[in-house]
Amino acid sequence: MALVALEGVGKTFRGRTGAWEAVRDFSLELAEGEFFCLLGTSGCGKTTVLNMLAGFEAPTTGRILLDGKPVRGPGADRGVVFQGHDSLYDWLTALDNIAFGLRLRGMAKAERRAVAQRFLTMVGLTGQGAKHPSELSGGMKQRIQIARALANDPRILLMDEPFGALDAMTRAVLQNELSRIWAETRKTVLFITHDIEEAVALSTRVGVMKRGPGGTLKAVVPVDLPFPRERTSDGFMQTFRQVHALIHEEIHPHE
Amino acid sequence: MNNRAATIGGYVAGFALLFLIWHFASQFLVRSVLFPSPFPVFERAVVLIEDGLLQEAVLASMRRILQGFLLGSALGIPIGLALGSFRPVRLLLEPWTEFFRFIPAVAMITVAVIWFGIGEESKIFLIAYTTVFVVIIATAAGVGAVGKDKIRAAQCLGANRFQLFALVALPATVPYILTGMRLAMANAFVTIVAAELVASNDGLGKMLWDARLFMQVEDIFVALISLGLLGFATDRTFRLLIRAFAGRFNPTM
Ligand SMILES: Nc1ncnc2c1ncn2[C@@H]1O[C@H](COP(=O)(O)OP(=O)(O)OP(=O)(O)O)[C@@H](O)[C@H]1O
Ligand SMILES: [Mg+2]
Repeated sequence: MALVALEGVGKTFRGRTGAWEAVRDFSLELAEGEFFCLLGTSGCGKTTVLNMLAGFEAPTTGRILLDGKPVRGPGADRGVVFQGHDSLYDWLTALDNIAFGLRLRGMAKAERRAVAQRFLTMVGLTGQGAKHPSELSGGMKQRIQIARALANDPRILLMDEPFGALDAMTRAVLQNELSRIWAETRKTVLFITHDIEEAVALSTRVGVMKRGPGGTLKAVVPVDLPFPRERTSDGFMQTFRQVHALIHEEIHPHE
Repeated sequence: MNNRAATIGGYVAGFALLFLIWHFASQFLVRSVLFPSPFPVFERAVVLIEDGLLQEAVLASMRRILQGFLLGSALGIPIGLALGSFRPVRLLLEPWTEFFRFIPAVAMITVAVIWFGIGEESKIFLIAYTTVFVVIIATAAGVGAVGKDKIRAAQCLGANRFQLFALVALPATVPYILTGMRLAMANAFVTIVAAELVASNDGLGKMLWDARLFMQVEDIFVALISLGLLGFATDRTFRLLIRAFAGRFNPTM
């Protein structure tokens, strides 16, 4: 059985400007341990899909199953890394941010700090645990977010363009780190991006979405390349071109 | 440390300049017995301090301010939290806050005196009154301003409703609460003087009133300067407290 199943999921927003069908008939199964990248143009409904899977929003049609059970609202079994870093708690140190989920579960202070320390090291921030978010760079904040989600040991990690706001160099470093962490933990990941290279570098499968309204999954491309990925290798280039062609049709539909 | 020295140096120079301008204005511009130079005012202040009268007035006023301020905050914070957190409470109480905050405490003096007499209770009531609405509004605004992602992050780390409130909404609101209290403190200074002017046996407002009756211009100035300095010192203390307890919450404060 798949870890996650989205079955004919649709979402229509109703507001002052009328109804807007953001996502239509979206079906996808994620297996335990895979790294799935969801790729698509801006506004095609990527975040909407993630928000429904996270439980922040309910689908209008279809259903979402986790371990065969329907998703109802957010829960600790789905960790989320947000695009911005507003989700960190300014009043807590980096270490206490990472330990926050463990604190919610009532784990003793010494114990949860020890666990958090391990994840702080995993994201490469050893010795920086006493700093507050206001004292961290954008890249460091995203590392803390990743560590916070992982420390809580969710069944799946949902990441919405976590590196979108970073400069190219920091982004490349964090991509490599994430790849290494994933290889270590084999956590199931759903990763949203609109960066083709990022998708091919990180994932085991890339799903390309059709433009909205009614954004849906258009094609899924398996990426059977060994890790660590060599971005200049022929295999990488070939997959890149394949995905690029799929995206290109969405950007220039009438060519 | 260097920065701190510069700040203090700036304050000292700023105040010195103020007194210098005052001195010159009284000597060359106005030249009236009704506008004394700083020196006789200082002399008078020394006399009042030696007689213990100034301390007495300051203590009386400050005690009322603190009591009313603490009472108003103790009421305002929980009400503001409830108002910001629960829609029914907001719908019910918002008309109240929006109504009462336009009735200034000064206008309530007559009612306060009728209800509570001219003793301590009426002043504490007025200070609490002027404090409570500012604190309610600031606190409720703070609750409303908690970032959506902060709440969502906690939810998918497994937070229940109580944890969301106690561990996310409340700490995120602290800077707003403190800012509201700081504004309320400034209101409290305005209100105490008005209340003591109208009905009181002691305090700085009473000192102002008596000085006017007996045309003791120096006393008026001593009272005014005391008010300014007290307000300034209180506000600085508040800012230091905000920094010490909540510097993490809002680095720009
Ligand atoms: N709360 C909402 N109310 C109304 N419409 C919404 C809402 N949220 C999203 N939409 C609409 O749904 C569509 C998909 O939005 P979504 O945020 O999922 O896009 P996205 O693929 O994540 O885009 P981006 O790459 O720019 O983040 C957009 O057209 C958007 O305007
Ligand atoms: Mg998005």
